[in-house]
Amino acid sequence: MSTDRVLAITERIIRQILRDKRSIGLLIIGPLIVMSLVGFSLYEQRDILDRVAPGLLAVFVMFFTFILTGVGFLRERAQGTLERLQTTLVGSFDIMLGYMIGFLIFAIVQTAVILTFTIFALRIEYVGTLWEIGAILFLVVTVAVSLGIFISSFANNEFQVVQFIPIVLAPQIFLSGVIIPVEQMPQLFEWLSVVLPLTYAVEALREIMLRGADLTTLWINLAALAVFSIALLAAAVATLRR
Amino acid sequence: MTQPAPVVETHDLTFSYGTTQVLNGLSFSVSEGEIFGVLGANGSGKTTLMRLLVGLLRNDGGAINILGESPSPKQASRVGYMPQVNALYLELSVRENVDFFARMYGMSDRRPRAQSVQEAIDLVDLGPRSSDPILKLSGGMRQRVSLAIALVHRPGLLILDEPTVGLDPDLRAVFWERFRRMAESGATIMISSHTMDDAAHCDRLAFLRDGRVIALDTPSALRAATGQPDATLDDAFMHFLRESSD
Repeated sequence: MSTDRVLAITERIIRQILRDKRSIGLLIIGPLIVMSLVGFSLYEQRDILDRVAPGLLAVFVMFFTFILTGVGFLRERAQGTLERLQTTLVGSFDIMLGYMIGFLIFAIVQTAVILTFTIFALRIEYVGTLWEIGAILFLVVTVAVSLGIFISSFANNEFQVVQFIPIVLAPQIFLSGVIIPVEQMPQLFEWLSVVLPLTYAVEALREIMLRGADLTTLWINLAALAVFSIALLAAAVATLRR
Repeated sequence: MTQPAPVVETHDLTFSYGTTQVLNGLSFSVSEGEIFGVLGANGSGKTTLMRLLVGLLRNDGGAINILGESPSPKQASRVGYMPQVNALYLELSVRENVDFFARMYGMSDRRPRAQSVQEAIDLVDLGPRSSDPILKLSGGMRQRVSLAIALVHRPGLLILDEPTVGLDPDLRAVFWERFRRMAESGATIMISSHTMDDAAHCDRLAFLRDGRVIALDTPSALRAATGQPDATLDDAFMHFLRESSD
């Protein structure tokens, strides 16, 4: 691994995104519009909003991070710059790590916007600590970044990345307990929910935000999210082989 | 006296994309300081050959020897590659693009890297535009940036895939003047092209057809082989195409 090369990739990604003013605007405004629509439509039903808010937080963070990374990395593949990178000394792991850090920075900003809006504008009631909520969302971001890079290897254009949303994200939204609690779903779906990263994030956020659980009691969820993140990172690195 | 080892050597090289055979037993060698042209029509296997040489593809059969070994990522510091597609970061400036790839080639020390980046930019005459984003540059300028990236780490071997496609005649002449200067200073250059304008500048040429070398020699020897005293390289190419069809 070369620290300089990883840093160079991270710096380059940050520069590229910062110079695209419209994308920066959409990165911030997009999640706010969606959160407003969902949040204010349930504003009069506080109990429902408070109950679904942890799940929605996880869903939106994963959704927007997946889009940001999937499309961003696809551009690298489509423009031929990834292939050109592969004729230099940089290794697949360095490329992945550089990307991960670069996209993480923007995804964290986006997550902070979503979290701030949920808590202060939608006035969600929560009992856990903010940093614990942030820690879970950070893991969701790492899973979504790896997932976005991995999926981008199966798409040839932006349109195809968008086509992957219902395939990759819809099962997670419906089966991870955001809408219906996992234990109330048919047995088959309950089993399926075990292999979906969002299940562990939604459960952990609910425990923290609704019941004030601390992270030490949620180590299984943390470990599961970390395993998903590492496994998807390894899968993404494998797609970068020459 | 023993001959120096070739810088690039392929022996009976084969490659296929699925069931489509692209290279059919390609053999040639390139010596140090030589400008070696790979000429052929679209689809003759030029780009596939170039991608094999830089290790982006793996050959099905035969052997490739680059700087004394099989193609591998660790050779990247000694090989400069210019792909057919420019492959640049459009939002970044000329200098940022060249500097980024310099770091990818392992040039981590800021000061010597800044000097090499400046030299590469000057070599392609883009000094006054070095702060402009690629988005604002013409196609020819983008190609010059792409060439600067291939040169920035001062490689001993340059593999350039159709570097002059789309360039106007003036710029093409500038490119060839640069290539000749680099070869004179010891660099080995492999260039693919489908135009005979480029072919005339090479020290030796391999004519490719359907993934096979149908002729390999100096431009003058290839012209002479047609038997016509005033034959052009176009005539020579057509002569060997006909011969290979028989």
